[in-house]
Amino acid sequence: MTQGRTKRSTEKSLTVNGLEKTYPQWRKKSTRAVDGISFSVDEGEIVGFLGPNGAGKTTTIKCICGLVEPTKGEINIFGIDAVNDTRKAVSNTSAVLEGNRNIYWRLTTRENLEFFARLHGRRLKEAEHEIKSLLKRFDLQEKEDVPARKLSRGMQQKLALSCALIRGTDFLLLDEPTLGLDVKTSKEMREFVKRLTSDMGKTILLSSHDMNVVEDVCERVIIMNEGKILANDSVNNLKDVFNVHLYDFILKGEQRLPRLKEKYDVTDIQRKDGKTKLRASLKDSDSFYDLINHLQKKDVKLEEVNNLDKNMEEIFMEVIEKEEAVR
Amino acid sequence: MKEHLIFYSVVKKYFIELKRYFLNTLMTMGGIFILFMLVFFGLKSFEAGTDTLQGTIVGFAMWIFAVMAYSEMSWGLLREARDGTLEQLYLTPSTFRRISAYRVFGSFIFQFVLFLTFLSIMMVVTGQYLSLNPGVIILIVLTLMSIYGIGYIMGGLSLVLKKVQAGNQILQFLFILLLVLPTITDHKIIYFVPISWGNNMINRMMIDGLSLLDFTMIDYTILIVNSFAYLFVGLFIFSLMEKSAKKRGLLGHY
Repeated sequence: MTQGRTKRSTEKSLTVNGLEKTYPQWRKKSTRAVDGISFSVDEGEIVGFLGPNGAGKTTTIKCICGLVEPTKGEINIFGIDAVNDTRKAVSNTSAVLEGNRNIYWRLTTRENLEFFARLHGRRLKEAEHEIKSLLKRFDLQEKEDVPARKLSRGMQQKLALSCALIRGTDFLLLDEPTLGLDVKTSKEMREFVKRLTSDMGKTILLSSHDMNVVEDVCERVIIMNEGKILANDSVNNLKDVFNVHLYDFILKGEQRLPRLKEKYDVTDIQRKDGKTKLRASLKDSDSFYDLINHLQKKDVKLEEVNNLDKNMEEIFMEVIEKEEAVR
Repeated sequence: MKEHLIFYSVVKKYFIELKRYFLNTLMTMGGIFILFMLVFFGLKSFEAGTDTLQGTIVGFAMWIFAVMAYSEMSWGLLREARDGTLEQLYLTPSTFRRISAYRVFGSFIFQFVLFLTFLSIMMVVTGQYLSLNPGVIILIVLTLMSIYGIGYIMGGLSLVLKKVQAGNQILQFLFILLLVLPTITDHKIIYFVPISWGNNMINRMMIDGLSLLDFTMIDYTILIVNSFAYLFVGLFIFSLMEKSAKKRGLLGHY
């Protein structure tokens, strides 16, 4: 979870209400990509869109920035109707779509930044300081005069993000910002994204199918599947709901522990090779210490405790599986 | 007003890219020049008259101009879609149609310089000297409006249909037919098809030495109505295709 964010206001940067998108198909049945979803993003918040391929994440993002026309529903960016007044609404929005595309490969790093600054109506004199600062922040100073096509994929993605930032908008849409990056560059990119809100106060809606990215970067996560929102909650809340803090306790000796299952939520006891393994799902830290005390009172020697808390990937799978089971 | 900054940004980018790939451009021009020489000296060997030879020079130069202007519209758009930058051009305070018009302006300046250079070299090499009245710029601009209109139509179609390269190539040859049409027929069709009437006026100015004042109001009316009709129809069809692409989620795909 991200720490040390700037305190943000409760103003809504983005409000999506009943958004629906059905793609008409030539001589085929229409495809419903987004099915009446509603959500909002507060100013200064990073919200993650999580879902498998075809969940409707990219369509939603493209509807927000006016690249796809919604079939139904309302989208407001800083109070501006983005469906009927797209140009005005997108002038407050930047987007990085599909990783390292979005930049001109024939232009150098600096030329790209200057082009996108002016393209958003910014004078170079005003933007110059920011260009230098972005080059420094993204470690692109030495590549300032190198054509974008000669940069590594990670650098191209950093440049794409810089080009989105140089537009000077407060709202940023990032579609798969770490797609195709190696582990180190992906981690760097996540740090950059986190700092965009903490240092620069940007509001970000990020889509990814990489659970680690969402878990690491976002405060809130919206889980989508087949065009619908299945969950919309803070990362911590989702973890609490789905985790119930699972632990494995390894005890010395093959122990008989009467009434343990009744008193604590012990789901499994295995006795093998002079050891006992208890698996317990505990609601909070009080239950955890309670169980430890109980074992101590029984003179049971505790050899090892393993936390089996679920990561975002397991939570995500659980949400999706539950939804499929309901259907 | 931010629009002038957007205009400057688009035109500057056009020239930066051109400079970076200048050798490639020069080699393409070299290839076209060899083709011209083959056509010109081929005609000369058949003892074609001076008017035919001079008409060939003007027609060929106009054809290159038209193909480049058209390509800038349709291929430029396809390239943006392929490279993934097209969507970024929609995320600006301006409109994509305006942005593409700015790029066309940049390309017009370059193509006009190239047109004059090409024409001068052709005149020196062939020994056929034409009248270079500055008023010809006005006729060229008006004539090219119809080409830009067709460029917008094909650009719009490529947004939705994507693979329209074959159509682009056919159109390049169709332009030859349209340019020579006034020399093979005086049927009224030349008033309605693109570039034919404009090229006819350019020919009269450069070969017969006419000035802008020598043309009648009817000549200008046909040229202006024809050119702007194609341009506006092109813009209208582009708008429809753009809307359809947004509806089908095809913008930026290639």
